[in-house]
Amino acid sequence: MKRDSLERLSLLVVEDSPADVFLVKEAMKEEGLGCQMEVADDGEKAIRILDDVDAGSQEVPNLLLVDLNVPRQSGTQVLERLRRSPRCGNTPVVMMSTSDTAVERKRAFDLGATEYFCKPSSLAEFMQLGKLVRRLLEQHNAAA
Amino acid sequence: MTQPSSNPRISRTKQDPRLEDLRSRLAEAEETIRAIYSGEVDAVVVNSPSGPQVYALEGSDHPYRVMVERMHEGTVTLDHSRVILYANPQFAAMMGTVSESVTGAEFDRFLVSADASAFSALVEAAAAGGHSSGELYVRSADGTMVPVRLSVTPLDSAGMQNLCVVVSDLREHRRNEAILREERLSRLILEQAAEAIVVIDPQGTIVRRSESATSLARRPVLMMSFDQVFPLIASGSPFDTARIFSAAHAGEKISGVEVSMPQPDGNPSALLVSASPLSSDGNELLGCVITLTEITGRKRAEEALASQAAELAQSNSDLQQFAYSASHDLREPLRQLAVFSELLQAKYQDQLADGASLLIQHAVDSAHRMEGLLKDLLAYTQAADAPQGAAASTDSNDVVRKTLPIFEARIAESGGRVDCEPLPVLAVHEVHLTQLFQNLIGNALKYRSQDPPRIRISAEQIGGMWRLCVSDNGIGIDPAYQGQVFGLFQRLHGGGKYSGSGIGLAICQKIVQRYGGRIWVESELDRGSRFLFTLPEKKNETR
Repeated sequence: MKRDSLERLSLLVVEDSPADVFLVKEAMKEEGLGCQMEVADDGEKAIRILDDVDAGSQEVPNLLLVDLNVPRQSGTQVLERLRRSPRCGNTPVVMMSTSDTAVERKRAFDLGATEYFCKPSSLAEFMQLGKLVRRLLEQHNAAA
Repeated sequence: MTQPSSNPRISRTKQDPRLEDLRSRLAEAEETIRAIYSGEVDAVVVNSPSGPQVYALEGSDHPYRVMVERMHEGTVTLDHSRVILYANPQFAAMMGTVSESVTGAEFDRFLVSADASAFSALVEAAAAGGHSSGELYVRSADGTMVPVRLSVTPLDSAGMQNLCVVVSDLREHRRNEAILREERLSRLILEQAAEAIVVIDPQGTIVRRSESATSLARRPVLMMSFDQVFPLIASGSPFDTARIFSAAHAGEKISGVEVSMPQPDGNPSALLVSASPLSSDGNELLGCVITLTEITGRKRAEEALASQAAELAQSNSDLQQFAYSASHDLREPLRQLAVFSELLQAKYQDQLADGASLLIQHAVDSAHRMEGLLKDLLAYTQAADAPQGAAASTDSNDVVRKTLPIFEARIAESGGRVDCEPLPVLAVHEVHLTQLFQNLIGNALKYRSQDPPRIRISAEQIGGMWRLCVSDNGIGIDPAYQGQVFGLFQRLHGGGKYSGSGIGLAICQKIVQRYGGRIWVESELDRGSRFLFTLPEKKNETR
C-alpha cells in the first residue's frame, strides 16, 4: 500500500472526552496520517452513523477507534453493531479504555475488536496509537 | 394362765378346817376345768419333784401356729447360739429355699457378713430392753442381697435364752420409695423447666404443666383444654390437639414446628412446638407431652440482625462500587492531566521561561503518583474478590516457588536468602495466596537492615487453621506503630526512602480476613519482624 492511500483516510472516532479526541488527532498527525475524522460522542450517534453507512448515505470508514465507556450505548454495543453491518462489517476496530483489565480485554476481542489500546498517562506512549493505526490499516489493505 | 376363784354356790358355814381346805381345792379344780373348756387356759404348770412342768393343752397353739405360718413376714426362733429352731415358710422363701434346709442352720449364715456384728448388737439390745429392731441385709440362695427389717424379741421360756426374730422384706417398700422419689423428681423437673411443657390426656385436657406453661398462657392451665389455652396457628391454620394426635397416630414426629399464638395486645407470640406421644406398654395412646418454646424475642432479634446484615451488605457493596468507580473514573482526568502537561512541555518548550519545565515535570510526577494510588485503591477494592471458576485449594509450596523468581534479582543483589519449610495445602484461592507472599516477601526485602536479608517461611497447624509465618532480619517495626501497618495507605517511612503507597499489608489483611483468618506482626526495632497469618486448611475430600 502506498503512503498516499493513507492520507485520505476516513476515521470514525467514538469518544466522549474532547481531550482524548484531541490526543487521538495529535497521534495521527505525529504519524503523518492525513485523515478525515468523524467523531461520535456517544454510542447512539455512532450506531446512527453505521446505519447511514449501511443505507449508502455515508462513506465507509477505513477504521474505527471506539472508547469502551461512552454514554447511551456502550463501546461494545457499537462494536457488535459494526460487526453485523453488511457494508463495513470487517472494518478494523481499535477499542480504547483507561483501564486495562483482562476481563475487559477478553470481552473486546471476543466481540471482534482488532486491537485493544489502553490509554496511557505518558505522552510518548499515547503517540504510539498512530503507529498502531498505521499497522492495522496496512494489514487490512494487504488482506483486501 | 387363769387362777380359779372360789365357788359362790358353796355355803361358808363353820366346818372342819380340813374339809374347808378340800372344798376350796375342789372349787379351784372346778374353776380350772371351766377355764380349760372355755379356752381361757393354754397350758397348765404342774409342780413336780423335778421342778415345774408345762403341760400345753392339745390344739391350744393352733391359731398362733397358723398365724405364724401364714404371716407375710418371715419368722425364726433361734436358740442361745443362734441356731434356727424353727423358720416359717416365708423366711425360707425369702432366702430362696425351703424350711427344712433352714432349720438347724446358723442364722448368721443368712446375714451379709458385714451385718453380723449389727445383728449381735440387736440381740444384746433385745436382751437388755426386751425388744429391738434394725434394718440390715440378708443374702438369699442366689446371692441376692435382700434389705430386711429384723425385730428381735427374747423368748425366756423354761429358762432357755431363745430368740424370736421377725424378718420383714423391705424390697417392695424400697421400690415404692424409689418410685415415689422418681415421681417427685420428674414432677419437680417438669414444674421447674424453663420451657413451657404440658402433658395432655387423650381428650386434650392438660393434666401436668410446668410453671412456664402457666406464664406463657397468662392464666392457670391445669385441667383446661389445651386448644383453648393455647390457640396455636401454623401457616394460617389451627395447630390443635387433633392435629397433634393424628401425627402421633401416623407415627410422625412433631419437632420444632414454628407456630404463632394470638396475644391480647395484638402482637402474636412466636413459638416452636414439639410433641411426643405417651403410650402404654400395649401401645395405647395415653396422651402427649407438648413442649412450647417462646422464640418471639429471638425471632425479632434475628429479623433485626438479618435486616442489619442486609443493610451492611448493601452499604459494603455501595462502598465497593464507589471505590471502584472513584479509582477508575478518577484515573481518566489524571491521565489526561499528565499527558497534556507533557504535551505542553513538548509543544511550547521554546516559549517556556527557565524553570517552567521543572514545574511541569513536578505536575506530571504528581499526576503519575496519584494515578498509582488510584491503581492501588482499585487493587484493594478487588483484592478479596473470588476468581471465577477457580477452586479454593492451593499448595502453599507451589505459590512460594512461583513467587521467588520475581525477587531473584533483589535477593541476589543483596546477598539474601529465603528458607522455606514444608508448607500446607490451604483452602484459599491461588491468586490470593500469591498476593500474600508477594507482599510479605517483598516487604521483607524492601525493609532490610545492613545485613544480607534472611527470610524464613514456616507453618504450624492450630486446630482447623494453619498459622503461617514470614520472618526477616530487617529493620523491624516500632511496637507503637504495629497496629497501624495494616491500615489503608499507612506508611511509616517518609522522604522517599522506601517506595510504595502503603497498600500491600492492607491488601494482605483483607485477603486473610476474607477466609476468616487473622494477620498480625511481632517485631522490635532493629530486630526483624515476624508477620503471622492464619488461613483455613484444605480438608481431604473423600473420593
